[in-house]
Amino acid sequence: MPDGDFDPARMLAGLEGAGARFILIGGMAAILHGDVGVTVDVDVVPDRELGNLDRLARALHALGARIRAVGVPEGLAFDCSAAFLRNLAPDAILNLTTQAGDLDLTFRPSGTQGYADLRRDAIEVEAAEGLRILVASLADVIRSKEAAGREKDRLALPRLRRLLDRVSGDG
Amino acid sequence: MAVRHLVREARRRAGLSQAELAERAGVPQSTIGRIESGARMPSAALVDRLIRAAGFELRVGLGEPDPGTESLFERTLRRTPRQRLADATRAARFALGGRRALRRARDA
Repeated sequence: MPDGDFDPARMLAGLEGAGARFILIGGMAAILHGDVGVTVDVDVVPDRELGNLDRLARALHALGARIRAVGVPEGLAFDCSAAFLRNLAPDAILNLTTQAGDLDLTFRPSGTQGYADLRRDAIEVEAAEGLRILVASLADVIRSKEAAGREKDRLALPRLRRLLDRVSGDG
Repeated sequence: MAVRHLVREARRRAGLSQAELAERAGVPQSTIGRIESGARMPSAALVDRLIRAAGFELRVGLGEPDPGTESLFERTLRRTPRQRLADATRAARFALGGRRALRRARDA
């Protein structure tokens, strides 16, 4: 993917247009809440319902999704089907590269129970013209980053907590 | 950072459960739970005790607020989610371009 092609709106529109149910989480979700960080990929939590996996697979296929691999810029081909997605472990993470940029599918992000758990407090946001998507609450984004405990998450957490305090009137 | 986050961060960095921190500090576990959930606002003395029990030192001082992040928040919170996504897309493309240029320079 040439750098100029990173297009999260196109990626999300592809998923939404196929009727896939998902929740945006991670750095891009934090940015939609007002964070000032920079992220170069999109993280989504899909609903594991079988029909949804079928719609998700079709969307991924249309986006030219391939497995992300170090040293293989174009990514690795894989069986982009509902059956493949259905057979993934409940806590599987699928790191993909698409024609619109890198996309991570996480069925059960750290510290959460997945789609149904995040759906409760998710908010609907107009992320681009005519594109309304569900975005995990900022508290849930923080919760998942706290549980993941990666270095980049630990660095971002103080800033995200300040943002949460600010938007919740606590700071 | 709110006090509840400070206590939780110290406990997690120390690798302690709420029960373990409570035992070290000589308070009931429910005290830790209530502080971390925001249900209880502890005294400064209790916060100091908990931070020390986690193996850290609480330092309090007066300083200027960090204008950088705060002013950036001011700006982003005035923008719509659509505008934020567009800003993030431009920033990511810039970052990806820089990353690629660095890689090319290293390989040259």
